[in-house]
Amino acid sequence: MGDQNDSKSNPVVMDARAPMKFRRVPSVPGPLTRFQAIRPQILQRVSNRALQNFSESSLDILLGEALYSERLRMSRDRWNPFTRARVLGDRKLWGEVQSGLLKPAAEMDRKGLLKNVIDHYAEEIGGFFDPGIYEIATHAVPWGFSWMLNAASVRRFLPWGMTQSLQSRIRILGEVQALQKLAEKGTILLVPTHQSNLDSLLVGYVIYLMSLPPFAYGAGLNLFSNPFLSFFMSRLGAYTVDRNKNNEIYRQTLKNYSAQILKEGIHSIFFPGGGRSRSGAIESHLKLGLLGTGLEAQLESMMEGGRRPKVFVVPMAVSYHCVLEARSLIENYLGEAGKHRFIPVSDESWKIRNVFGFFWKVFASQSNVTVRVGRALDIFGNFVDDEGQSIASNGLKIDPGSWLTSCGELKKNPQRDHEYTRNLGERLADRFHKENTVLTSHLVAFSYFELLRTRYPDFDLFRFLRLSLAQRSLPRADFIEAAERFHQRLIQLAQNGDLHLSQELQSTSDSNVWVRDGIKQLGLFHETKVIRVSERTIWTEDMNLLYYYRNRLAGYGLSRLVDLSGRKSHFGQSDPQGFLA
Amino acid sequence: MTPKDFWHNSDLAVIGGGNWGTVLAHLLSRNCRSVRLWLRDEDQARQFNATRVQSRYIPHVQLDQKVVATSSMQSALEGGVNAIFWVLPSSACRTRAREIAPFMRGDEVVLHATKGIEGGSLKRVSEILIEELPTRRVGVVSGPNLAHEIAHGEPAATVVASEFAEVCQAGEWLLRGPRFLVSSHPDLVGVEWAGTLKNILAIAAGALDGLGLGWNSRAMLITLGLTEMVRFGTAMGAKVETFLGLAGMGDLLATCGSPRSRNYRVGFRLAQGERLEKIMDDLGSTAEGIGTTEHVWKFASARGILMPITGGVYRLTHQEQSAQEFLKDLIQRWSV
Repeated sequence: MGDQNDSKSNPVVMDARAPMKFRRVPSVPGPLTRFQAIRPQILQRVSNRALQNFSESSLDILLGEALYSERLRMSRDRWNPFTRARVLGDRKLWGEVQSGLLKPAAEMDRKGLLKNVIDHYAEEIGGFFDPGIYEIATHAVPWGFSWMLNAASVRRFLPWGMTQSLQSRIRILGEVQALQKLAEKGTILLVPTHQSNLDSLLVGYVIYLMSLPPFAYGAGLNLFSNPFLSFFMSRLGAYTVDRNKNNEIYRQTLKNYSAQILKEGIHSIFFPGGGRSRSGAIESHLKLGLLGTGLEAQLESMMEGGRRPKVFVVPMAVSYHCVLEARSLIENYLGEAGKHRFIPVSDESWKIRNVFGFFWKVFASQSNVTVRVGRALDIFGNFVDDEGQSIASNGLKIDPGSWLTSCGELKKNPQRDHEYTRNLGERLADRFHKENTVLTSHLVAFSYFELLRTRYPDFDLFRFLRLSLAQRSLPRADFIEAAERFHQRLIQLAQNGDLHLSQELQSTSDSNVWVRDGIKQLGLFHETKVIRVSERTIWTEDMNLLYYYRNRLAGYGLSRLVDLSGRKSHFGQSDPQGFLA
Repeated sequence: MTPKDFWHNSDLAVIGGGNWGTVLAHLLSRNCRSVRLWLRDEDQARQFNATRVQSRYIPHVQLDQKVVATSSMQSALEGGVNAIFWVLPSSACRTRAREIAPFMRGDEVVLHATKGIEGGSLKRVSEILIEELPTRRVGVVSGPNLAHEIAHGEPAATVVASEFAEVCQAGEWLLRGPRFLVSSHPDLVGVEWAGTLKNILAIAAGALDGLGLGWNSRAMLITLGLTEMVRFGTAMGAKVETFLGLAGMGDLLATCGSPRSRNYRVGFRLAQGERLEKIMDDLGSTAEGIGTTEHVWKFASARGILMPITGGVYRLTHQEQSAQEFLKDLIQRWSV
């Protein structure tokens, strides 16, 4: 384990500009490594639990509702040759349920039908883990990336060009050592912000770089329709989450699965925002369903006298200069917001050409990704120290057992537990904002957008987004001044601990340097350039994309600086605390 | 054990032995195993234990043997209690909470009966308690509850509100009595703000009475005042319906009509031209409304929330305006 120590002493805080030698981090085995052996047991327990959950429900109604929503879903489903088997399996099952429900209860046991449905779901959800594939993937990924880097980079002619690697493109900041320690004391529930489909890959790779054992994670079922991704993901601990399956039986089975693997001590990753952030903003409303399984797992382990019952919730904030699927996300968001003429676009992110082009550009340029590991929380949203001890806001130690005791007994109480989880969600959303690392491109997009807004204070968002090219051009000097003003404000916020600034924004006092960097990096891989500058003017080629990148700084009450009329509500931004800001 | 049995065999602490704290301890003593009553003053505690009477506030009521007074936070929670009733003025809330926090276990339920807020931050008492105590199971007891009437055994009703159902449940089992109706409410924010904001109107109502006016003007004040409460409350995240219930309208009517209410008395004497400092001296106990008016008015005026009555009460309590001018202003503003 000498290498592991090495990786700890060698700060994982990496600088993109410092050329680094490619170094293999040894992969660390964990509970997930022996997953294959315990998988049948886990699925068995998941299914038994779900049957118990529904022991008091009217099964006819429950199954009827599920049948109704599943038939709707299946009628909308599109399938390809790789997903054919799954679709046919679904149809067969629901066909049986339908004919079963038509028979009287005496002839067709409803419980048997329910069990079939639950088992079917559990099998679909349950992931696999193949240590061999994990080994290959963790080694292949950096080698593959380095190869692309060398092919793409003009700097390959320079001596250090050959040694650049993916590791040096990823800056890992924050509480890495605390996370490493806590992973040995309890079960980690890692909750990253979610902007891109690349997040699962990136977060998985970051976990490996931090010398942590592999984590299980939920991935959208749609990603499994790609045979290549499906092969790797399903063998790297991914379990499937299908947001289209909108019925109680599925939700309960999924929650049970998540709680069960946490109870087994398998570290897990959730993206709690419920899919990628459509607006580009940091998640402020979290889905509580899966999040609550952390509390459930801990409480059950405590009741059963488990060895390491504690579950630690660790937020992680990922900052990109460019999100590959930004355009489809923001158009989707604006479409749902309703007033915009919605033009459906296909999800561009997973076309092979785009993925390849993305990496090509990532390595050919100086772009990098910043990942910040946040301070760990307990299942109630209190901070925990390095030893895993919960600390209340006044610094007192908290005994989680006493918080889960009602009327003198350690037991479940759905209303109480839901309330605790709601608290956790609120605190987590707050932590996401505070752990966020602001990049130069975010600041540039925000400053330009807000400055432009002052010119058209009466326009609503949708009219504003349709400004003509002439209307959306601004004098460069004005923009620099606004950007400097926001920079000063951000420095204040960073000092208060409300956010973090990237290295470039911390160190440079010369605004020209970071403004140039920001403009260059902003939305680097889109076909249209988000912000362009000339000697005198600055303009945008794509208002929607600008809005998307600008939103990364929404929710901090910064708009008020520009919007002097004060009480106007800020569009596209849920700002529950704005009233108090 | 059912919740009912659990709470009827529980040990409780009541923190604060003013009017309402003493009466609460009295009500609670019928439904639990023991009550520890925390008083600030050691002599008072000793005197209470000897006589079972809180001579300073409610001299005519003798409390049950189950109620034991103490002036130390540690002994108030010694051996652990199941629920804590918090009956301190809002100004003392944070410091006292810090004192008691180290002695708590974490499984206690906390119910407060403070109708005030923290200056500056405008935090509600439950928010302060959640920040300072090692628990999140906090709720509020609020409603038209003039302590003296309840001490006399007159019928009354109150509201217990919390985001945790078990806290409401505890409040119901512990407080319910043959002449005391307790109902649960999930809107903690609304119940707390309703109880807080009504104190401003109580001062105004007192002032109108001090001018010798009758029920017409009082009804005008109460009705217009209620819309003002709703406007501010909803801005703070409360639900409108809450203001129409016992904790809102109910409490407002009781406080605006009763010379027993301290805030009402402040308004009454201000209208008769007395100085605020003297009134406060005579009163001997806190009138939450004075501080509340100032905090709410500053907050609302900075954000453009329309609150003409609160503005008037602010000027009245700061002696910038007489009660006559306050009334004139009020009528002119609404007739525009």
